[in-house]
Amino acid sequence: MQDFLQTLVGGLSLGAIYALVAMGFSLVYRTMGLVNFAHGSVVMIGAYAASTFYLTVKLPFFPAMIVALVVTGLIGLIIERVLRPLENKDFDLMLIGTIGFGIVLEALATIIWGATGRAVPNPVQTGPIELFDVRIRTYDLVVLGITALAMVLLVVFLHRTKRGAAMQAVAMDHEAATAVGIHVGRSNAMAFGIGAGLAALAGSLAGPLLYVAPTMGGSLGIKGFAAAMLGGFGNIPGAIIGGLAIGILDSFSAGTFQGYSDLVTFLIFTAAIMIRPTGIFGERTVNRA
Amino acid sequence: MSRLSTLFATALTAALTLSACAAPGESDEAKDSGTGPIKIAVVNAQSGQLSSLGAWEHKGAKLAVDEWNKAGGINGRQIQLDVFDDQGDPTVGTNLARKIDSEGYIAMIGTAESAVTLAMAPILKTAEIPNITSGQSPAMPAFGSPFLFLNGPTSTTYDKSLAEYIVGAKGLKKIALITNNGSYGKGEHDAFTAVLKEKGVTPVADQVVTTDQKDFSAALTDVRGKNPDVIFVGAEEVQSGLIVKQARDLGLDVPFAGAAPQGTPVFADTAGKENVEGTIVSTPYLSNDFSDASKKFAAAYKAAYSEDAEMHGAKAYDGTNIVLTALKSSNVATGAALADAIRATEYEGLLGSFAFDDTGVGIFETQIGLIENGVLVAAS
Repeated sequence: MQDFLQTLVGGLSLGAIYALVAMGFSLVYRTMGLVNFAHGSVVMIGAYAASTFYLTVKLPFFPAMIVALVVTGLIGLIIERVLRPLENKDFDLMLIGTIGFGIVLEALATIIWGATGRAVPNPVQTGPIELFDVRIRTYDLVVLGITALAMVLLVVFLHRTKRGAAMQAVAMDHEAATAVGIHVGRSNAMAFGIGAGLAALAGSLAGPLLYVAPTMGGSLGIKGFAAAMLGGFGNIPGAIIGGLAIGILDSFSAGTFQGYSDLVTFLIFTAAIMIRPTGIFGERTVNRA
Repeated sequence: MSRLSTLFATALTAALTLSACAAPGESDEAKDSGTGPIKIAVVNAQSGQLSSLGAWEHKGAKLAVDEWNKAGGINGRQIQLDVFDDQGDPTVGTNLARKIDSEGYIAMIGTAESAVTLAMAPILKTAEIPNITSGQSPAMPAFGSPFLFLNGPTSTTYDKSLAEYIVGAKGLKKIALITNNGSYGKGEHDAFTAVLKEKGVTPVADQVVTTDQKDFSAALTDVRGKNPDVIFVGAEEVQSGLIVKQARDLGLDVPFAGAAPQGTPVFADTAGKENVEGTIVSTPYLSNDFSDASKKFAAAYKAAYSEDAEMHGAKAYDGTNIVLTALKSSNVATGAALADAIRATEYEGLLGSFAFDDTGVGIFETQIGLIENGVLVAAS
């Protein structure tokens, strides 16, 4: 029982990181119908930016995270601006464009920070909390708290604000949205910017848990993408549920199948997607090509 | 016949003619012209998670070659050392093996990665290019290529010393294992469990993780439940560091034990300096001031690269010196003759006295070190 709970706790914090990555994927998909393949690399840049301001510039962890958020937000805006001429013209080229951006960002990171990664020390120094003989790292609680906050803010923004509603209107019918005076480009830019900001959040929180390296975007991106699919692509609470599910699944398969854990995780994921292709929350597919 | 198929047929004939020209044996003769620089390749990760290993190896090899070149080279010929980035990836490695064959390199230094070395070994065997690697997986001598040499001990040697210290000298019997399923980790796992079995000790936990795993809470939870005296890690520098860091975060405070990776600065930096205190390390290269030879090497290394020397640089330095000594003694032989010359070379190196056996292993002992106040010191 203890082992079960301990494994669960271990899976939750990593799951929260996957959830943040999935939220970024889903937001861009929801508003533009586009899978942003550069997202994993933006997560990596976020992790590097946060660790640089934390370790080299010696800012406290949370301000460093805010700076990273701004940096990746700008990168998101740049990506959207470059892809904008293709919007509603060549959807495939936009997809390939995002892949290209991913490669460019990875190469840039190698040029700036070198090929070897870095370990980020845990910013929360308090020892683990012991609860029914289960040890919970205090940092895990921070990760879970920030993820929950990000989700609430995002849902409130999408459903309770004018801009959020406008973004969703663009997603449903961009021509009608344009007709009622919504600026489609600006709405897309916002989606990309917020998505990239979420990536920075995921990356900077992942730093102290994992390891910051130019290639980290690959594995986090794949797991985040799987999480978004599992939850129902484009659905924000779905992204959270999907992320936590993948994290917990990962943790349990690591405990049970050890060296074959990745294989088992993705086999279960594949089976789940086959049974329910639209994911848990069954979001309607946006298709604007 | 359409134009396209005519074109195809012509291309095919041309390709066949070309490959007929480059029959095996003939290409080997063309390999070393007897004049101009002697071409030696360093193949190692220069990018990716294992790139620190690759960088150290390259520095060690380059230091040896520079010293030989400064002293006039071999038979009046300079030595040309070129570095190739395998990214720590076996697939990239196999492509590089073909590349260094076609470009006329007569020997190869590297890689630091057992998996990459094993992937390259069959091609290098066919191409008859002697290769001296820093990997330590027992699978390499078991592969049985007369062209594959190790510039250090195998995992079996490392782990024998380690088990003797832990079980024999310290009397610690509750041992937990965390290893990865890569070539290095699997080698460590098998070698360590084999020596433990000889000593009649069964590990209390035996956790296997994947090579790219970054979260070890599941494995560490199991280990913690078994209450071990010491935890053996068989994983590369970064991964070992992460395991130790996460273990401390979970409140596990027993010492860790392992082979070469646990003695490196990358391991300590990744885990956090205070987290690696008390780590038991089995290594053939304890420190830079262990002997006169290591002091001299460390000083030259520092002068050349403005950083402190460590084990992987020392291994590559030894390995390169062995290849160069063999080249000199054989009057720049290539292929099988060079491999024989390497096998016959007895060399007093930084890691010990090299005397190769038929499997390509030249060193059969390691020392035990402990990390105390952030530095590796000899265990008493």
